[in-house]
Amino acid sequence: MAQPKDRRRVVVTGQGVVSALGIGQDVFWNALKDGTCGIGEATLYDTGELYITIAGEVDNFEPREHDLTKQFLLADRYSQFAGCAAGEAVAQSGLETPLPGDEGARTACIIGTGIGGVTTMEFSYKMLFEEKKRATHPLTLLKTIGSSAAAHVSIEYGVTGPCFGVVSACSTAPHSIGLVYQMIQNGLCDLGIAGAAEASLNWGTTRAWQAMRVLSPDGLFPFCKGRNGTVLGEGAGVFVLEEYNHAKQRGANILAELLGFGMTSDAADMVNPSIEGASTAMQIALDDARLAPGDIDYINAHGTATKVNDINETRAIKRVFGKAANELSISATKSMHGHCLGAGGGVEAVAVLKAMQEGVVPPTIGFDEPDPECDLDYTPNTARKREVTFAMSNSFAFGGLNAVLVFGPAPA
Amino acid sequence: MDEVANKIIDILKKNMKEPSDSIALETPLTDLDIESLDLAVIVFDIEDTFGIEIPYNANEEVEDFSTVGAVVDKVNAIISEKKSSGAAA
Repeated sequence: MAQPKDRRRVVVTGQGVVSALGIGQDVFWNALKDGTCGIGEATLYDTGELYITIAGEVDNFEPREHDLTKQFLLADRYSQFAGCAAGEAVAQSGLETPLPGDEGARTACIIGTGIGGVTTMEFSYKMLFEEKKRATHPLTLLKTIGSSAAAHVSIEYGVTGPCFGVVSACSTAPHSIGLVYQMIQNGLCDLGIAGAAEASLNWGTTRAWQAMRVLSPDGLFPFCKGRNGTVLGEGAGVFVLEEYNHAKQRGANILAELLGFGMTSDAADMVNPSIEGASTAMQIALDDARLAPGDIDYINAHGTATKVNDINETRAIKRVFGKAANELSISATKSMHGHCLGAGGGVEAVAVLKAMQEGVVPPTIGFDEPDPECDLDYTPNTARKREVTFAMSNSFAFGGLNAVLVFGPAPA
Repeated sequence: MDEVANKIIDILKKNMKEPSDSIALETPLTDLDIESLDLAVIVFDIEDTFGIEIPYNANEEVEDFSTVGAVVDKVNAIISEKKSSGAAA
């Protein structure tokens, strides 16, 4: 069990999610439990000249239907996803917004993105270079910048403390969440809105990913022998983090405690991950949480279904957990919502908290024949009832940037 | 060696840190210190040079990329396939 802490404790009082499995945590969670696949033929762009034609798209996203204020209606899709997820998280937290001045000043808003408003950029380049327009849309710059989601959310809720975006490719969300966790822990803030958003599904980005030769034309099948690459997704995962006594005093419903955060860099290779970097990040997160490997019930794996990630992650888990690795429930929910890139770890952390709340481990779907080198329990195809007291969420990004979060139950 | 082979060897050399002058058709790509990301760049360069598309997935073992000669054969096959389908159209 976790030891009582001599430092300020950080709890989660709200969460929100946008993904190919739907908008809102309940829709998302029901789809995960049922093993629903949100990956399908891409519709947001013309796939005619592409050989990668599938993606995990957020279907029929209409910002007006999600109670977003006018400022979001003029933003890029990635900021709209952030607004939507933040709206759900803030509503669940029960905080009264806009935050009063003194509270707003003690609140952080860190919402990152892997690449920002790249579809806005593509559209503007098309206007300039192809259609020979004389100017871009006047909001192109504001829509594109990687800090716009954080700025929009801070405006929406009156957050006047630290506010910026974080960039670390597929580890963006846990880096953002981990930073706010540390800010609250260290006394800089009492509250924070933290997470990440991504909406980079367009022709040019898919073309660029296709050129890297790491995408699967068929589907995302983590840890399977026949896995042949990842599938791009999009979405957002945003949390309200709060200092424990602050939450208790206002009678907030505490969803979980954020117990540990570990981050490392492989400093080795842009695409080939190292066991050392991944395992050290997990170990630091466990140590920060003051937990032993055997305490963890569930790991939401990075599980991208690339040849190298899944073997490396399996070996890293074994290095950290030793014999306890065999008792773990592991799953890669990317098999259902796709690889949401910067938003991935945020979307997946929502899955982790729901697993803890409901005592159900979501599955890894499309799991047929396991890779002999990936020999742990990846919760194949069907969700499993299991009490999840402590859980870990792994994110390992291009460039060897690793970030790991550990969650536990609400303090007794 | 034909023109296709020479161009492909030039592309390989361009993408090597220390270009070797002894690249032959039998040379395995693994001897050229070419890693997965290098291969993606090389395939892109070949596609651009010859105006073709090469099916290649870094997650799969591909026999077509075992040796320099295998790459040349694959490119020649795609070029001739393209020519014949172009003639039919």
